[in-house]
Amino acid sequence: MKTDHSLPLEYSTEQNQLNILGFWIFIGAEIMLFATLFATYFTLANRTGTGPAGSEIFEITPVLIETFLLLTSSFTIGLAVHAMRIGKKNAMLTFFVITLLLGLGFLGVEIYEFTHYVHIGAGLQTSAFTAVLLTTLGTHGAHVTLGLFWGLFIILQVKKRGLTPGTANKAFIFSLYWHFLDIVWIFIFSFVYLKGMM
Amino acid sequence: MSELFPRKQVMSFVFSLILTGVALTVYFLDMSFAIGMTILLITAFVQASVQLAVFMHAGETKDKGSIYLNIYYAFAIAIVTVLGTLLIMIWDM
Repeated sequence: MKTDHSLPLEYSTEQNQLNILGFWIFIGAEIMLFATLFATYFTLANRTGTGPAGSEIFEITPVLIETFLLLTSSFTIGLAVHAMRIGKKNAMLTFFVITLLLGLGFLGVEIYEFTHYVHIGAGLQTSAFTAVLLTTLGTHGAHVTLGLFWGLFIILQVKKRGLTPGTANKAFIFSLYWHFLDIVWIFIFSFVYLKGMM
Repeated sequence: MSELFPRKQVMSFVFSLILTGVALTVYFLDMSFAIGMTILLITAFVQASVQLAVFMHAGETKDKGSIYLNIYYAFAIAIVTVLGTLLIMIWDM
């Protein structure tokens, strides 16, 4: 394998560059997936039937906590990639752990939110609105859950093998995924919650 | 220690927090639906762009053309999907 030392480690081989471009194409497909969910949400947002409307069940405090946790975790994973690029393995792993803990905190608040919705009678089968709401939030939450395991495995592999073109490439691709989840959350925060509470 | 916190990323994080704060005005202040949606559209898309350009390093390598083309394509499909659905299902056109 040819290694180009003028580039960051994660880009240093032809295979690595193609892996990163390939993941961008996957993110493109994910953008379209979430677009269909948003389209469905906007269509059904007012079809509340006998169930509650968004303005009745949304609460600003948990939403703000979730937003802050995910936004900060997106920042710390960016710092992890920066630390990786200057060869600071321990700093990189520390930022990875912080990122995953923030992600875990986000997931905890979201799980609380879901049980709260079900508790106050806004379950998956209550109305078209609650169905599409929980499906949209749940799809994002499932992605975060997957990301937690993925990130954990990357930490273990970097600990075991050190920073190589292979592990750096995987860590960078994970950071792309994590930033993407934050972008999706920005849109959920703006066009599901804030629009619903306006 | 400070080398671990590059200025560009710290400033982008602060900028993202400010944009979130601006978006929150639609909740805390009384405003029309049109103005609120305009604010949300601007803050959301600017914040997404910051993530792409700064944190995801989209424009740093020689395949930046392919990466941006792919992202523009994905966003174009996303916008057509959402606006097309709204056009038929909500705005009745």
